[in-house]
Amino acid sequence: MLDFMENVQNAFYEASHWNLDNSYGALNATARALLEFQTPKGLKLQISSLAAPNFATSYAIGNVGVVDGSVSYLYSSLPLQRKLKSSDLDLHHVIRGYRHLQELRRPDENWWWEVWHNGKRIDRKDTLLYGRIFLPQSRLDALYLRRLSPTQQLRVAAVSDSSLKNGGTILTLLQNDFGKYSTEYMYSTDSALLGVRGLYNFGADPRTGPTEPITVQQIAEPIHGRFSAGAELYYGLLNKSGGISTGLRFTTLPNHTGFPYTMTLTLNPLMGNLSSTYSVKAGPNLALCSRFDFNFYSYESEMQVGCELWRRRRNTDVEWAVKRLRPDWERRTVAPDDDVTGILKARVDQDWRIGLLWEGRIKELLFTLGASVDLKKRDQIFRAVGIELQYSS
Amino acid sequence: MAFNFNWSPLGADTTNARHMLTAALNKSPKPPIIVDDIIVTDLNLGTTPPSLEILEIGDLAEDRFRGVFRMEYKGDGRMTLSTRVQANPLKTYLSTTPEFASPEPLAASAGLTIPLQITLSEIRLSGFVILVFSKQKGVTLVFRNDPLESLKVSSTFDSIPFVRDYLQKEIEGQLRVLFMEDLPAIIHRLSLRFAPECQEELETEERLDGSNDATVPIDPLSTAPQDAVDAFGHPLDQARISALSLDPTAEIHASFSEKNLLHMAALIETQRTLALFTPSLRDALYRAWAGQMDRLESGTAPPALTLSSLSRIQSTFGSVKSNTSSVASGSTGRDTQGSRPTIVSNLSSAGGLSAGANRARKPKKRVVDLRKNKDDAQSSGLSSERNTPLPSANVSDSASTIPEEREDLITPPPSPATRPLRFETPRPTLDAAARSRPSDPSAPPASLLPPPAFLSSAPKPSKPKHKTDNSKPEMRRSSTARPPLSHSRLTQQTTSPLFLRSLSSDKVATLSSVDSTSGGILEQAWMHKMAQEIAKKVQREKDRAAGATGAERAWGPADADDDDEGEEGDAPPAYVA
Repeated sequence: MLDFMENVQNAFYEASHWNLDNSYGALNATARALLEFQTPKGLKLQISSLAAPNFATSYAIGNVGVVDGSVSYLYSSLPLQRKLKSSDLDLHHVIRGYRHLQELRRPDENWWWEVWHNGKRIDRKDTLLYGRIFLPQSRLDALYLRRLSPTQQLRVAAVSDSSLKNGGTILTLLQNDFGKYSTEYMYSTDSALLGVRGLYNFGADPRTGPTEPITVQQIAEPIHGRFSAGAELYYGLLNKSGGISTGLRFTTLPNHTGFPYTMTLTLNPLMGNLSSTYSVKAGPNLALCSRFDFNFYSYESEMQVGCELWRRRRNTDVEWAVKRLRPDWERRTVAPDDDVTGILKARVDQDWRIGLLWEGRIKELLFTLGASVDLKKRDQIFRAVGIELQYSS
Repeated sequence: MAFNFNWSPLGADTTNARHMLTAALNKSPKPPIIVDDIIVTDLNLGTTPPSLEILEIGDLAEDRFRGVFRMEYKGDGRMTLSTRVQANPLKTYLSTTPEFASPEPLAASAGLTIPLQITLSEIRLSGFVILVFSKQKGVTLVFRNDPLESLKVSSTFDSIPFVRDYLQKEIEGQLRVLFMEDLPAIIHRLSLRFAPECQEELETEERLDGSNDATVPIDPLSTAPQDAVDAFGHPLDQARISALSLDPTAEIHASFSEKNLLHMAALIETQRTLALFTPSLRDALYRAWAGQMDRLESGTAPPALTLSSLSRIQSTFGSVKSNTSSVASGSTGRDTQGSRPTIVSNLSSAGGLSAGANRARKPKKRVVDLRKNKDDAQSSGLSSERNTPLPSANVSDSASTIPEEREDLITPPPSPATRPLRFETPRPTLDAAARSRPSDPSAPPASLLPPPAFLSSAPKPSKPKHKTDNSKPEMRRSSTARPPLSHSRLTQQTTSPLFLRSLSSDKVATLSSVDSTSGGILEQAWMHKMAQEIAKKVQREKDRAAGATGAERAWGPADADDDDEGEEGDAPPAYVA
């Protein structure tokens, strides 16, 4: 389950029309959400609040180690409208699962953002500031996010921790998203790492789409999938080492009539690593994912399977009545997922390492229950067990 | 004394050692580049044993040993390690980067683990090894310095020079840590595993040349100098000394050179006889006294306790001292000394002994710390029990003596005039002291050596005077009755107030207890050689003795000049036939 503050940041992205999915880093976001979810350790409590549309605070306390906690504050120059109360927030916002990609959106024009008053431009660039201090480790996380233009964003993340090599590290990320393609340039102070990432979406260019006349063929055969290709390149100036990878993705769009699915293939030519994932949303409540890794240098292979299951409350009392209703009869529900009792995530790999996660909402409390199990090690089957509770107002 | 280093059984079966090394290598957190356990697949100690040069033996007994060696290894031992390393530098880099500021590469950080085999060979070691062995606690081996001189690392990636150099550098660094930190622990555990047959398995098996009957758990002056020096005069730092100590309660152990040992022995002799002369060790700080734990250990280590000749010497002094003090309990010590020529002669002989030691003193600065004395009464009681009943002089036994420092610890032929006196008078008083013991258990220490409280706060006027500087005129006055020899001795003594201050008899008693029980291997060997030398000298002296009638007269001029040569004319009583 996403942290409150991550949810707020996502709300900022949404409010500033930034598409998180249109990035090479998010190429296999679906597979990672279904296979690489983190299981909580120990007990963790979090109380958060969006005190004002621009300001959020969060306090967390946990018992990992002895007792540790964190205090975080967030400021956004853009008023955030997303519902963030734990009683009525959209569970899809905080639970990462199958990411159903939408049609590419045409980026805003620059002049859309301009605000003029008395012949002067008074608009300001949207900014997000976020800081989090961990106690008693005295570690500080800081984030500076700025929308430089409708197609550009600057992200500076810094961690200050005495246990780190130089007392901390800073990552600067300049992201460009033109819809049709996106590029990212990054620099990390840790070993002076330079990085470039790019993603190209095949198919129609969303920027030119509306101006061209729509042909008959386009109406007859609507685009129901998108093919994307990307690559990344890193080079560490200090340790004189680099990394490279390329990736392909095919994903279905909402126009697709069958069940949605996503396929990715990534290749690391330097290390000889080939990874393929296949994710499918088999129904409104079920998503499945598999991944196969193969290294053609060492002939090592790895296999992982995961699933996500939304369990909903069956209301047998009124079921017969619902069936008799007109299809277009609108039922009024308090929240979109009010009948969800919990979401089960599970993964297993070829070594019988199992991860289990049970997330959901009880009254106004969001809970996450997790365990990681290693069946190979009989003496210590449960590697980690934990529970996280979140409340936000 | 001989050491038998048995190298071949160590090299025969290395399974245990391999497992230990594997465990030790995997204990500490590994660098992120190593993704699997490090397994020692092959360990061969080779056929060439390391060459050991004994620098110093601080403690030697049947069940204990402590020594400093200089080790050099140019053998053909080799070790093969196998592990798996992460070949992707980006992945190892990311493993140390916090997630919040991680670039989160998509697949560029995909791992590639490569099995790696490293062979270490042509290991060249050279360094100082401190070896401590105890039957109960096993073997502790510490390197004083970084012993690794060079080694050859060959690995799977030898064809890539960059990787080869990197591995060479990394492994050298790791090995240095291993030698300095892990290896002592491994060896200690190994020795504990072999606990019952420690002596065979572990390379130090000490054997005595002569009769083995006199093996006593000794602690040669376990009263530790707080900054001990090794044979080279390099100061051993405190932490290392205490680290050497196997017994956590006995934190400070002496690590003495033989020379030091003799100096200290001489010092103690002078005190035991109440001789006011001190070998004025310049630049020396007399801070303290015996560490009691060691003393108790040695003092109560009894049944095999057969006193060596050195302890007899000491016991002689001790008995003389007890004689003096027991008499002094009736009168003042000054009076006793003044009225008894025999004691004066003893004093002078002790002075000669100590002066000899003084002369042999090394110019190096050495701080002698003899403090930490708690169980004085008990220890002195023990010591007195052992000391006093002995015949004060036993020629046949005292024929075993000190080897190397003969010139230092002079035992010149004593003048014939004093000899009969000395050996007639002590005996009865000695017997008296011995007799008085059973009647009053608390008395012996007091009779042997008055406790410090007694010395400092005794109502008798002369006692404090002994301990202070202003006793000088008193001494002079009292010594008018005495031969000039003792006069000069006394004045000389008073010039070292520092020592006078520390000259509280309980400490002397402590030391004496230590020494009286220290009939160890070292001393024995030492005695043996020394005895021959003394026997020769005694013989020579006897021949010469007929002419000499007035001992005081003979000594007079020499002592007046405060000449060491003159003092050599007198021997400590124990050496006298």
